[in-house]
Amino acid sequence: MSKIIVYSTPTCPYCHMLKDFLKERKVKFEDVNVAEDHEAAQRMIEKSGEMGVPQIEINGKIIVGFDKAAIEAELKKMKA
Amino acid sequence: MKLYDTMIIGAGIAGITAALFAARKRMGFEIVASEFGGQMLISGGVHNYPGLPDISGLELRSILEKQLALAGGPKVREETVTEIKKSGLNFSVMTDKNRYETQTVIIATGSKPKKLDVPGEEKFARKGVAYCSICDGPLFSGMEVAIIGGGNSALHALDFMKDIASKIYLVARSDRTRGFESLLEKARRNPKVKIIFSADVKEILGGKFVSGIRYEQGGKQKELNVGGVIVEIGRIPGTEPFRGLLDCDEAGHIKTDCQGQTSVPGIFAAGDCTAGHDYQYIISAGQGCMALLRAARYLATKKEV
Repeated sequence: MSKIIVYSTPTCPYCHMLKDFLKERKVKFEDVNVAEDHEAAQRMIEKSGEMGVPQIEINGKIIVGFDKAAIEAELKKMKA
Repeated sequence: MKLYDTMIIGAGIAGITAALFAARKRMGFEIVASEFGGQMLISGGVHNYPGLPDISGLELRSILEKQLALAGGPKVREETVTEIKKSGLNFSVMTDKNRYETQTVIIATGSKPKKLDVPGEEKFARKGVAYCSICDGPLFSGMEVAIIGGGNSALHALDFMKDIASKIYLVARSDRTRGFESLLEKARRNPKVKIIFSADVKEILGGKFVSGIRYEQGGKQKELNVGGVIVEIGRIPGTEPFRGLLDCDEAGHIKTDCQGQTSVPGIFAAGDCTAGHDYQYIISAGQGCMALLRAARYLATKKEV
C-alpha cells in the first residue's frame, strides 16, 4: 500500500506549507516531528543523507525541501 | 495583450504591502514571486513590528495573506522574472512562464542568504550546513554547533538554538558583534555560548556530514569540532535580472530616491533589494507603501501628458 511520510520540525515554515499543500489535496500522510523524535530524525538522515527539513517520503522515494513540482509528479504517479 | 497599471515583483512584506495598497486603489495588477511570504518564511519570532509585539514570521504571513484577500488582491503568480524591458512608454516583464505588459513596475525581490564561499560549504549543504536556524536547527539537537556571523541574524539564530544545541560557538569575523544589545546580553550570560571574535572561517570539514570548521584567527589556523554550522553572515539582494537596467550599488542593491523611484522613471523598488537602509520588516512595509503610492501618482501624471 502506498505510504506518505512527512518529516518536519514545528518551527519550520516550509514544513507547514508542505503539510497545508497535502491537506488541500486531501492527501493522507504520516506526520513525523523530527525535533522531538530523534530516532526518526536519524532514520530520515540515514535514508536521505540530508539534514534538512521538510522531507517527504512517497512510496519509498524521498524529496528534500518543499519542491512542489517534484512532489506533484510523485503524487500523480501514485494515482496512476 | 492586457496593459497592467503595475506589476509587483516579489511577495515579501514590501511586495505584499504594495499589493495591499494597489488592491485598495483598485489598480490592475499582478504579483509575481517564487512564493508568498519572503523572509517571513525563515523568521522565528518577530518582536519589533509596531503593533505586533510577539508574532512568528509564519503568523505575520498568514495575517497579510488574509488582509490582501480581503482587499480583493490577486493570488501570487509563482513565476520567476527573468528580465524587464522598456516597451515604448511602458515595460515588458518577462518571466519563465509569461510576458506581462505594464505601465509601472514595483521591484520588491528582497534578499537571500550570503554564502561563506569556502571549501566544504557546497559539499555539506544540508549535511550539517544550514542557512535557516528555525527550519533545520532542531536537527542539531544535543550537538555542538557553530553559528557564523556577528549581526542580528546570527544572534537571533543563537537565541533560537540555545535550548537545542549542547554548545554554541558564535564565530564572528569582526572584533565585536553588531547586533542589538538585548540579544548580545542574552548570549553573553549563557554558559553554553562561546563567542569567538576576529575569526575568518576558511573551510567546512567533515566526512559524510559536517564534523567541524577551520578558521584563521590572529594569523593562526584553528579548528573547531561541531556537528552543525549555521551561516548567518548577511544577505544579498535578489536583483540579478535588473542590474543592467537600473542603477545599483556595489552589492547589487537598487538605488532609489526616498520614495522608491529608481533610475528608470516608472520602475520603483522597495524593501531589502534597495540600497541605503537597515533591514527591518517595518522599513520594508513602509517602502512598499511609498513605492506603490508614488507609482500611482506617476500613472496619474502619465495620463495627463
